[in-house]
Amino acid sequence: MARRVAVVGAGMTKFVRRAQETGKELSWEASRAALDSCELGLKDVDAVCLTSAPDAFDGVHMKGEYLSDGAGAFGKPFIRTYVGGGSGVFTAIQAWYTVASGMADVVLAVAEEKMSSTQPHPQGAFLTIFDNILERPLGPNLLWIFALEMNRYMNAYGLDKRDIAAVAVKNKRNAADHPAALLGQGDITIEDVLASETLAWPVQRLDVSPISDGAVAVIVASEEAARRITDRPVWIDGVGWNLDTAYWTNRDLVFPEYVANAARMAYDMAGITEPRKQIHVAEPYDPFDYKELHHLEGLLLFDRGKAPEAARDGVLNRDGDLPSCPSGGLLGVGNPIAAAGLMKIAELFWQLRGEAGARQVPGTPERGVAQAWGDLMQVGTVVVMGRDGASAPTQATPALSVIQTPPFATAGHALSEEEFRSATGAVEHDLDARYAWDAGVAIGRFLDGLEEGLILGRECRSCRRILVPPRMFCERCFRGTDAWVEVEQTGIVQTFSICHVRWDMQPLDEPEIPAVISIDGSDGGLLHMLGNVAPDDVSVGLAVEAVWRPESERTGSILDIAHFRPRGEA
Amino acid sequence: MLEKIALPDEVRRWDGEFPVRHRYTPGVAGSAFFTALRDRGVLLGSRCEACSYTYVPARLFCERCFAELAADTEVGPGGALVSFTIGFVGLEGEPLEEPETIGLVRLDGADSVLVHRVLDADEPLEIGERVEVVLRPDGERTGTILDIEGLRSVD
Repeated sequence: MARRVAVVGAGMTKFVRRAQETGKELSWEASRAALDSCELGLKDVDAVCLTSAPDAFDGVHMKGEYLSDGAGAFGKPFIRTYVGGGSGVFTAIQAWYTVASGMADVVLAVAEEKMSSTQPHPQGAFLTIFDNILERPLGPNLLWIFALEMNRYMNAYGLDKRDIAAVAVKNKRNAADHPAALLGQGDITIEDVLASETLAWPVQRLDVSPISDGAVAVIVASEEAARRITDRPVWIDGVGWNLDTAYWTNRDLVFPEYVANAARMAYDMAGITEPRKQIHVAEPYDPFDYKELHHLEGLLLFDRGKAPEAARDGVLNRDGDLPSCPSGGLLGVGNPIAAAGLMKIAELFWQLRGEAGARQVPGTPERGVAQAWGDLMQVGTVVVMGRDGASAPTQATPALSVIQTPPFATAGHALSEEEFRSATGAVEHDLDARYAWDAGVAIGRFLDGLEEGLILGRECRSCRRILVPPRMFCERCFRGTDAWVEVEQTGIVQTFSICHVRWDMQPLDEPEIPAVISIDGSDGGLLHMLGNVAPDDVSVGLAVEAVWRPESERTGSILDIAHFRPRGEA
Repeated sequence: MLEKIALPDEVRRWDGEFPVRHRYTPGVAGSAFFTALRDRGVLLGSRCEACSYTYVPARLFCERCFAELAADTEVGPGGALVSFTIGFVGLEGEPLEEPETIGLVRLDGADSVLVHRVLDADEPLEIGERVEVVLRPDGERTGTILDIEGLRSVD
């Protein structure tokens, strides 16, 4: 039986575009603020859990070890976990199981990100999350994934972009009350969002969270230790995490089932049977405005396709029926990736203790849920937290009359672009790593097929799916697939984007139209480009066909298909 | 299904790269260290009295007790050689024209050790022997670790 576990302290740096502090220094500032908040010292910490997103952001290989001294790990049990954007919430789960298992009584959980080190643009570090052989030759841009998912979501429910933009407005307004926020703006309007630059339609500039530096830390303790440390512990009542398929084009882009699975796991553990009544405040992951809505539905807090109406009608506002991202979220406070997730845990801690100051949700919320999402868009991490009175066994409920200012480190000093470029002691390095990827068995045969002008899939006779891209094993049934199958050269556009920028955010001369195409005769989607068509003439559901390069020019590459065009276009 | 690949260069493969470079700024303590090195030609460390430990280069915090530290302690330029190695090959395994000697030094007044090149290492080195840091001349230092030319034996 797992022990009961609580959060007893939290601290964070400011989130800024370019921090003067090193990653170690940011980690230390946040860690010290968290320890100070509950009057503990490093000697009181039994173990340290750290997270940080890709090493390539900070440009430090084995970033966990690099950051460990700033996270207080000297001479202690220490490990870094990493699940992409889901990392920040996951490190709270990691701290939970370290304590729940009895391995430690007091754990310091730290999340850091320093994205400003990456040149020319942090998106460069994301390019390798695309399939090296089937997707990178197409020249992908991280925004594609979000734009394609957002368009699919909007199309499935006939959503109005205005309702989605309401999330960006809400969060940037909420962040105006957050002392650590990068992009708080009290007077922003929906018109501002809708008038911002289109990056990869339907994604516009103000739909997206900013590149940021920062760190957050929380102190997690066993029940016995928590009672000793504070009279107002905030309990971790439930945790859940879940993963969808690694083939993102094969995924249901309308509903995040992996978030729902993680939420069910966490709700079950917390004894929550009616989340819409029993959750009083939510901090869903909002790197893009539509993602907050997508995730609120995944958290089972709204019916499918109904979260946007809630945003429009003010239900998600701080004084609404279900306050969502009262912190200001990633869109407003900022998005130093791993740190942003743990910021949500810290926000629930402050909200449930009544310590959120100007951001305080009215009505003494008793229970909240935090969620993050990441890897290649397929991991959901969920934590349910409750104050005394919300969680069984019930102890005397302390009054929430003591309103304190949350402990923020004064650190997180912003450098201007000029200061960043001219800083004494600064150095630049190329990563200078090159790779050679082989195609493997399934994709090797798939590429041979393309050279012959064929699109090949693999059949799984257990789940009766035809897999494109093909694989030699079925990831659902976990058995070898059975046979090669030639599928059609036609398909249906499941979703598309009209992209105006390259991965380094430089403008393209001509917009590109990436699309996820469901190939007729298969069960999967394939990422490719649309051509021979004006952007205004593309729609979800459009029937398309492959346009092949001349046989003599084919090389056994995804680019042997030049693009897909509307069927019947000569 | 598994095949042994005897000629890896003949496997169909895609070449790719990681198109990022990094700009590292030295942070709060690092700025103080490099500014002092460039402008005054001194090596600044940070002393933690509680732990009786002096870090070099300077640090913002003590990793042992988490106390905030200042760049308050000048160390060196003399010190003791803690260890050394002599490299005969480069990063790609190619032979170097001149062997390169790398040393660890505990500077006088410091507890942590610093890594740097050993200059003029013609004589056999001994662990524990006295060395000193050699700085680039005034006006030629730019605020990098290469403002230290290296370590040299002191007779």
